[in-house]
Amino acid sequence: MAHILVVDDDESFRLYLITLLRQAGHTVLEASNGETGLELFASHPVELIITDIFMPKMDGIDLLAALHAHRPNVKVIAISGGYKAMNSRLTLEMAKSFGAMDIITKPFQAGTVLQKVTRALQSSDVEPTKE
Amino acid sequence: MNTTNLYQELIELHKLTEMHEELEGGFFTVVRHYQAGIVHRPERIRQALREQDPERVAMESHSLKSVCRQVGLQNMGNLAAQLEAMSATGSLQDVEPLVEQLIASSVVASQELTRYCHDMGASRPFQDKEGVNEP
Repeated sequence: MAHILVVDDDESFRLYLITLLRQAGHTVLEASNGETGLELFASHPVELIITDIFMPKMDGIDLLAALHAHRPNVKVIAISGGYKAMNSRLTLEMAKSFGAMDIITKPFQAGTVLQKVTRALQSSDVEPTKE
Repeated sequence: MNTTNLYQELIELHKLTEMHEELEGGFFTVVRHYQAGIVHRPERIRQALREQDPERVAMESHSLKSVCRQVGLQNMGNLAAQLEAMSATGSLQDVEPLVEQLIASSVVASQELTRYCHDMGASRPFQDKEGVNEP
C-alpha cells in the first residue's frame, strides 16, 4: 500500500478521495492548495499525488511544474472538471503536457480512480520523497 | 403532487449508488459534505454577485458545477456551468435570475438528498431547522 497526497481545494472531493483511498489501504495526506501540497510533498514520503487543477494560491499546473523541478519522475494524476473556456479534456491534456502521468475527469467514478491509482503505482519503481 | 420520490427524477441515482457501494460506511459523511457545498456555494455566489466580483462568481460556480455533477444533480450542475460561462466574460449583467434559480434549486436538491439518505438508512438527520450545517 502506498503513501498518496490528495490536493483539492474542494473539501467534498478531498473527503471522497481520502475515504476511498484509505478504504483501499493507502496512507493519505491532504492539502487544499498547491502550496501546502508542495510542503507536504517535501516533508513526507509520497509515492503518488492526485491533484486538482484549478485551485486558489498555487494551482495544479504550477504544482506540477514545482514537483517536477523537485523530482522529475514524480507520479502525478491530474483531476479536473474544466474551468471557464477550458473544458476538462483541454485542461487535462495541458496537465499531461506538464508531466501528469494520468488524468481523471470530474465527475469521476470511484472504480476509475482506484484503477488509475493502482496502474500509476505499478507503472515503475516507487521512489518516496523522504524516508 | 407526489414528492415522495422526487429525488428519483432530480438525481441520477446510479452515481449515488456507486458511491455508496464503494464507500460503504463512509458514504453518508461524504454525502453530507457534498450537500453542504450544494447549500452554501449558491449563497457565496450571491454574495460575490452583490460585491460585483465576477472572478469569485466564476470560481464558486465552477466548484458548484463539479459538486452537483458528482452526486448526480445534473440539471443544477448545468445551471452552475451556465453561470460559470457567463461570469467568465467578466460581466455580471443578467446573471442575477440564474443565481436565484440556483439558490431555489439548492433548497430542493438538499431536501431530496436528505430524503434519499434517510431512505438508504442514514442513522442521523442530515438537516436541522436551520438547514445544513458546514461539516
